Amino acid sequence: MAYHSPYKAPPHINAPPDQSFLWNIFQRVDKDRSGVISDSELQQALSNGTWTPFNPVTVRSIISMFDRENKGGVNFNEFAGVWKYITDWQNIFRTYDRDNSGFIDKNELRQALTGFGYRLSDQFYGTLIEKFDRQRKGQVAFDDFIQCCIVLQRLTDVFRRYDTDQDGWIQVSYEQYLSMVFNIV
Amino acid sequence: GGAHYGHQPSAPYGGAPGAYGAQGHGGQYGHGQGVAPGAPYGGYGAQPHGGHYGHHAPAGNFKLSNIPHGVNPEAHQWFQTVDTDRSGFINLKELKQALVNSNWSAFNDETCLMMINMFDKTRSGRIDMFGFSALWDFMQRWRALFQQYDRDRSGCISSMELHQALAQMGYNLSPQFSETLVQRFAVRGVRPGIQLDRFIQVCTQLQTMTQVFRERDTSMTGNVRLSYEDFLSGTVTRLM
Repeated sequence: MAYHSPYKAPPHINAPPDQSFLWNIFQRVDKDRSGVISDSELQQALSNGTWTPFNPVTVRSIISMFDRENKGGVNFNEFAGVWKYITDWQNIFRTYDRDNSGFIDKNELRQALTGFGYRLSDQFYGTLIEKFDRQRKGQVAFDDFIQCCIVLQRLTDVFRRYDTDQDGWIQVSYEQYLSMVFNIV
Repeated sequence: GGAHYGHQPSAPYGGAPGAYGAQGHGGQYGHGQGVAPGAPYGGYGAQPHGGHYGHHAPAGNFKLSNIPHGVNPEAHQWFQTVDTDRSGFINLKELKQALVNSNWSAFNDETCLMMINMFDKTRSGRIDMFGFSALWDFMQRWRALFQQYDRDRSGCISSMELHQALAQMGYNLSPQFSETLVQRFAVRGVRPGIQLDRFIQVCTQLQTMTQVFRERDTSMTGNVRLSYEDFLSGTVTRLM
């Protein structure tokens, strides 16, 4: 099945929080007062809704998205983007996690991704759950859900670049394939 | 899925395993001083104390008889040091504290996570003694390879060196491919090249993804036709 509308950034739901509110949060998260929030500082500040540490891979993905100078963290200006990104995802996740368990199951994952425009087989949703269910519950927690969406989006983007006639099929050489894959490593 | 337990570099490796990095003064854990940053694999070229590791129990707090069958005695000793919370398992934080590149920088999260996934048979996000022993051997081999391919002894692998390394490992890839990888994974502010952690990550992923490609290239033409979902699932399931 081909992909139709690509996944987009999470819709803007909340009004942007004001600067002093964000500054307060930034200062609390920036424990070593370096002016830059590192992976471990952000990880400690984030909750996935369960009593387990936030997925460090998700933290890395988010920071690298907003860290413009490749300094290994985000400054205050960039943190505004991080904050909005995470709260937007939180709102999306909550609409699918109806019982507020902190997890979404395969059906809810399918609803969420279908809502983003993905058309994927039932078998593939099983694959996604298997891969992103870090806590071995047969369900996906908030942090792993974000990571799942990030990976899918990156893979879809790189596939589209090669699928010039948009028929859902590509023909690639060995080196092209590796280049595609290393795009998302 | 697919814990690649005991995954090994496909290439012949030159250095004798155990000759690098491992400072074999096990049993001295808890001394609180004198341990190089990120001790166990630390110290590019550090020599183990004596070759008979495991045969004498330093300070009496290490018994040979406690070593489970199939566990490298040296790895067994280091396990005690790395397992700082004494949980019997090594988690990401503990592993990260234990591994260093030749410039003493800590291993990056991606590589540590990849290795935990490879040697974590229970998929609990941490590795036990057996997994650690396998990881130990894995690290020794990659460290030896890294030193072998770091021809100018700069402590990092340049794109030229990476290209030569990959060619010797049997990969038929263009110099541009190595250049792109090095550009992507080189640490900023350091000379252009990749450190040990990235070298391990790149080579391991390359092995895995080559396997994925091979499975699809049944007629061995070097070209494959892939559907969107086949591309997604091949990558998602195997990428670590």
